[in-house]
Amino acid sequence: MNRLRRLLSAACLAAAACLAVAATAQPSDPRAAPTRQITDAAGRVVTLPATVNRVADAWHANNSTVLMLGGASKLVATTVQARKQPWLQRLYPRIESLPAAFNAAGEVNVETLIGARPDVILMAYDGSLPKWFDTISPYPIAVVLMPNTSLEDLATTARLTGQVLGERESRVAADYVRYFEGNIHRVRQITDRLAPSERPKVLHTSSAGILTADGLDTLIDDWIHVAGGVNAAQVKGNGRPVSLEQIIAWNPDVIIVGSAPNQQSRAAILADPRWSGIKAVRTGKVYANPSGAYLWDRHGAESALQVLWAAKLLHPQDFADLDVRRETKLFYSRFFHYTLTDAELRSIMNATAP
Amino acid sequence: MSKPRNFALMLILPLGLLYVSLFVGRFPVAPQQVAHILYAQLVPTAPDWPRSIETIVLQIRLPRALLAMLVGAGLSISGAAYQGMFRNPLVSTDILGVTAASGFGAAVALLLSFGAVKLQLVAFAFGLAGVALTYALARVYRTTPVLMLVLSGVVVAAFFSALLSGAKYLADPESKLPAITYWLLGSLNSASMRSLAMAAPPIIVGSAGLLLARWKLNILAMGDEEARALGVRTEWLKGMVIVCTTLITAAAVSVCGIVGWVGLVIPHVGRMLVGPDHRHLLPATLSIGATYLLFIDDIARSVSATEIPLGILTAVVGAPFFAYLLRRTGGTWY
Repeated sequence: MNRLRRLLSAACLAAAACLAVAATAQPSDPRAAPTRQITDAAGRVVTLPATVNRVADAWHANNSTVLMLGGASKLVATTVQARKQPWLQRLYPRIESLPAAFNAAGEVNVETLIGARPDVILMAYDGSLPKWFDTISPYPIAVVLMPNTSLEDLATTARLTGQVLGERESRVAADYVRYFEGNIHRVRQITDRLAPSERPKVLHTSSAGILTADGLDTLIDDWIHVAGGVNAAQVKGNGRPVSLEQIIAWNPDVIIVGSAPNQQSRAAILADPRWSGIKAVRTGKVYANPSGAYLWDRHGAESALQVLWAAKLLHPQDFADLDVRRETKLFYSRFFHYTLTDAELRSIMNATAP
Repeated sequence: MSKPRNFALMLILPLGLLYVSLFVGRFPVAPQQVAHILYAQLVPTAPDWPRSIETIVLQIRLPRALLAMLVGAGLSISGAAYQGMFRNPLVSTDILGVTAASGFGAAVALLLSFGAVKLQLVAFAFGLAGVALTYALARVYRTTPVLMLVLSGVVVAAFFSALLSGAKYLADPESKLPAITYWLLGSLNSASMRSLAMAAPPIIVGSAGLLLARWKLNILAMGDEEARALGVRTEWLKGMVIVCTTLITAAAVSVCGIVGWVGLVIPHVGRMLVGPDHRHLLPATLSIGATYLLFIDDIARSVSATEIPLGILTAVVGAPFFAYLLRRTGGTWY
């Protein structure tokens, strides 16, 4: 018995010693490698390795931006949702094999994350730190927070993402931001001259389950305005639950349905007698929002196309020379290096899986 | 208060509030317009109001108000029956796992992007299946002791809650997850004539069943052995109460998500008004429950441009009220 106890304690000691050695040996000394610093959306000065080779993206929408900037090979961990985005899988098959360290609830699987050995984590910032921020603080992984509350923020986000990834990616980001801002400028040249009465009231609603509207102070409100409309939903924030009666009271001129299955929801709206009195339904102006590598209407790279699509939708006469389908094909070949077939283009415009 | 007056009040209150509910809301409709529109349904008259107002009153507010009343009444009578049967004032309709199971069914339907009708059916079916599972688990030697029922209910509810969390884990954060979350908080947002037509039969059948059995509940509330000694077939009666309550609760959850507190608080309000005798208590809870949830839903859809989830309002109003009852009665319930 005594011998057994001695043996056990010796084993424990040995194990503890191993752990101690492992603990001191584990973190590769970051001070030794050259570093650089960037300031993120929260105003934090973040120290990064001079060359970042391994990135974890905790922000679903931003995965398409990383891919677009040419950082696909550096992505080592992603989110459960990004992995399931059908068009992202098509453009970037490797996404399905990446470990999903982050989930929809904004939680992290620390072991998966550490196992992926990222240098840096990219995340959205809306004024509060991510839930997992403290959880991962003991580990030598930089966190770069990027803004996500307005349309302009997306340019900053693209730039920041590029900066984190490296010089080559930064150049692509600059190119993208030029394109993105160019599109906004192109649209605003016409829509800024519109009188308030010429701006249709646009309701942007999400499909599935419960009736919601995207209100003021959101990215969606921004692109509605840029595209020459005015948001019908006079509430604050994204995805607010509203009653059908409230929507009838707002009486939107145009209804845009976002998020899959938007074609199905669009059909349901058009068929429902309760919606029939709303102007948008009476005039047949109910549309499904396109969706590709990410939902066009949210925070993905394709927001650049969203402003064009929405402008053409709201003011077809003013944008007679704008061919959204052609622009979309050009965009995917220029930024995703992917040539869309006509069938694939239809799938994106109709928000169906490829 | 005299009995006939009590009775009249219990009839007038919900019906009066129903009428009020038809002209209260985000879209301005005058009370006399509602009267005209209702009148025109009985006697054909040339409409002198816009079609949109008729749509709002008849297709949006009426089914929603009727559903609120049905669900409120159903959950309340179920709660009262369960509290009697389990001989426990803290029991609520979800004790046997029906809510968790229905909730999971709805979450799955939302994940798979089912339409409103399919969602309702799936949630309803899961609710029934959940309770069937509980009942099967609780069955020992051809009896279902209360303790076994409660514990089996805990097991089944825990299991389905975990599955529900799993469904949320898999949901798309931009659309599905908020839908599931809001749905679970309870809302009559998606009420329509069709959902009313689907939810009404099980709720009415279940409530009628409980009403028929109400005097036997008094005996069951004394305990299984006493009831058996008095010649009541307790197993049969318990089974019937469970079936009725499950029909009601599963239908309620499948149409408006999880509405807490109604099934717990209203039976106690009923006891305060008419006493613990189930013969009077059950009809009273029908009326009080219908009025309460209708009132809550009117707040939910009228106060702000965004809907307030029912689950929040019922608890915000219900919890302090329950606390007040606890203090006032000092625990002397029956």
